[in-house]
Formats: sequence, C-alpha cells, structure tokens
Amino acid sequence: MIWLKFKNWFEERYDINELKKLAKSKLVPRHRYDFLYYTGGITLFLFILQFITGMVLAFYYIPHVDYAYESIIDIVTKINLGWFFRSFHHWGAQLCIVFVFIHLFGTLLVKAYRKPREIIWVTGFFLLVISIFFGLSGYLMLWDERAFAAVRVATGGAGNLPVVGSFIKIFLRGGTDVTGETLIRFYAFHVAILPVLSLLLIGVHVLLVQYHGMSVPVSLENKQKAGEPFFPNVFYKDLMIWLVVLGIVATLAVFLPPEIGNKADPLAPPPEGIKPEWYFLFMMETLELFPGTIYGFNGETIAIICVTIGIIFFFLIPFLDRKSNRGEKNHLFTIIALIYLIYFVATTIIGFST
Amino acid sequence: MNNKRPFVIAKRISLRVYLLIVAILLPSFVFAEEKIPVFPTSPIEVYTVYATLALLWLGIIGLIVIIKMKLNEIERIQKLGIDKEDSQAPILE
Repeated sequence: MIWLKFKNWFEERYDINELKKLAKSKLVPRHRYDFLYYTGGITLFLFILQFITGMVLAFYYIPHVDYAYESIIDIVTKINLGWFFRSFHHWGAQLCIVFVFIHLFGTLLVKAYRKPREIIWVTGFFLLVISIFFGLSGYLMLWDERAFAAVRVATGGAGNLPVVGSFIKIFLRGGTDVTGETLIRFYAFHVAILPVLSLLLIGVHVLLVQYHGMSVPVSLENKQKAGEPFFPNVFYKDLMIWLVVLGIVATLAVFLPPEIGNKADPLAPPPEGIKPEWYFLFMMETLELFPGTIYGFNGETIAIICVTIGIIFFFLIPFLDRKSNRGEKNHLFTIIALIYLIYFVATTIIGFST
Repeated sequence: MNNKRPFVIAKRISLRVYLLIVAILLPSFVFAEEKIPVFPTSPIEVYTVYATLALLWLGIIGLIVIIKMKLNEIERIQKLGIDKEDSQAPILE
C-alpha cells in the first residue's frame, strides 16, 4: 500500500513511462560475438562492488605512516568480517582489472571502436588507466615491505620518462622518495580523486553506449538477426552473470585471503623475489629485454620510451584505422590487435612463472 | 656377530641423518616468523564461514533458476507476440 502511494507520488512528478519505453525499445544485436557485450556489464558490477567494500574499509583505515599497517591488522583481526571485506576488495579489484582488459581487447578485436564510437574507446582507455592506478594506490595502503618496494619501483620507472618523468615521480611520491607523504597522496587518489574521475568517465561511457547503441562487427553487419530487447531479456541475463561473479569473488575471498607481510621499513633492502602486480608484469618483462646501455643511452629509459610509444599507438588505433571507419574489413589492425594481446598474455605468464 | 654389523652402521647413519635434519629444521620452526592471521582461526568461525558460503551459492543458484524461468516465460510471450500493446483494443468508458 505504501509502495503504491509512493509510486503514484513519484509518477505524478516524473514521467517514468518514457524511461520504461526507452528501455524496452533499446535492442541489443544478436550475433556470434554478442557474449562480449556482457564483459562491460561485469566490469561495471565489479566497480560497484569495489565502491561498496571500499567505503566499508574506509571506516577503519588510518592513512598515516605510523598507523596504516596496524589499522589493516586491526581490520583483519579485530573488526567483525573485516578480513572478508578486505579480501573481497582485493579479489574484486583483481577481477575488475581482468574484465577491463577482456572488455578492451574484445572491443579491439571486433573493432567496436570504429566511427562514430571513438570517444567510447577514449573513455574506456582512461578507465583502464584509472583502474590500474586504483590498483597501485590501493596496494600501497597496506604499507608492508612488498607494497613499499613495488611502489618505489613503479614510481621510479615513471621517473625514467624523458622531460616529464621527474615531475611525475615527485608529484606521485610527494617528495624524492616513497614516504608517509606518498601514502597520504595515494590515499587521496584512491578514495577521492580516482572515484570521482571514474564515476564521471563511467557516466560518459555508458551514456555514449546508449546514444550510439551496441556496435556490430564489420563482417556480421549484413548477417545479423533481429535484435534482442535490452529490458527485460538482456537485463535478466546480465543479472544472472552478475550473481555468478558475486559468488566467484566471495569464494576467492574466503579461500585465498591476501597475506600481510612485514611493516615497510624505508631503510631496509627490498625483499627478495619481489614482483609487481600481474598487470605490470608485461612492463617488467619488456624492461628485462633491454640491456643496461644502448649506444651510450640508458637502456631502461629507452625501454620505457618504447612501452610509452606502444601504449600511445594503442590509444590512437580508432583514429588510425581508417578502413574500419569506412565500414571495410581491415586485417592489418586485426593482426596488430592480436600482437598486442599475445604479447601482453605471454609476457604476463612469463613474468608470473619466472 | 659380523652379520649384525651392517645393521649397526645403518642405525648409526640413520640416527646421524635424523639429528642433522632436526638440527636444520629446528631453528626454522623455533624462529619462524609469526604470520598475521588473515582468516578466522577458531573452528566454529571457520565452520560458519564455509556454511555461509555454501548458503550464498545455494541462494545464487536459486535466484538464477527463478530468473531463468522468468526469462523463458518472457521469451515465450514475445514469440507469441502478445507482449505488445494492442492499439486496436477498445477503450473502456
């Protein structure tokens, strides 16, 4: 009864029927690659889970160099279900980045970036960068020796970029080395700056997807069947997948809770066998391919320049692939996409196993 | 007497090997770093966590079955073509 009253009250003020009509009239194309449409929804769902668990953790976390590590131990050992929320947040982040990559490479392979969806690609690319920076900044929150060393290496690597490198390094660290200042900066990024930026970008991304509709691969444009209504058909399918993803994250959180190492000591040497997070392994392996000096130049700097050029090219693909923009097949960019995918997967596996 | 000698030697060697293993492993047990427990340690809590996880999966499966049934029904109605509003239907005064 109260619900009906509230519904009437709301409908007198806002025209929901128009929204309902819009949701029902929106059609999702049906073809053999339509499973890729669900990866975007899964990423969005994981982002929402991260926001919720992150808010819960923020109630108890103390972003201070003397208390950060201790507050996490308190969360894990003293707070009711604190261990679960931390573990859930950790695994949610890992899966979120996995699905961002799957979504990105899927988009790249079916060329969903082509005209007029270039801005969707741009916002998606920035969301990937933000997701990775979310991961890095969240990793330092723990303030243990591994996180400390990883952030020192990552920010040091950024410092090797010519011209802007040293500015980026000092800006991220809040000084010349990783200190309590870095922790405060990374905390600010993690809980304030990045969430606001990601919400804005997700908003634009989703809005543009609604505006342009779902992209269909060039090869299937003439063969596609009648579309499926987004609401309720695709929405219900999304819901079922989200439930499974929720179960997977909860299971991982229970069976594989992330360990806590020793507290970070800026004066201690980095622990042996240290590795960055899996999404940085491709960069680490690329750095290892280069010798220390190349014709008198620093090998690491050259490697970072090469990686940067590779990433910039990747970002500019929608603007360079003109054939796809005209609605023609372009095998060259399919091969380029495959090379990127194989290189990323292979170097990540090599980096993980060695 | 001589027949027993190899056994005595073997016994001595096995004792030495045993002591060596103990000498190697003992410090690692005694001075092992205390790991921070990142998962409940009491058996009742562990049991509760696993039972809750099993219940969560049961709930998820139940919800998926319900949603799938609902989806099948929607698709059946869509196939029959009776989901669309009939513009020719007479309006009740």
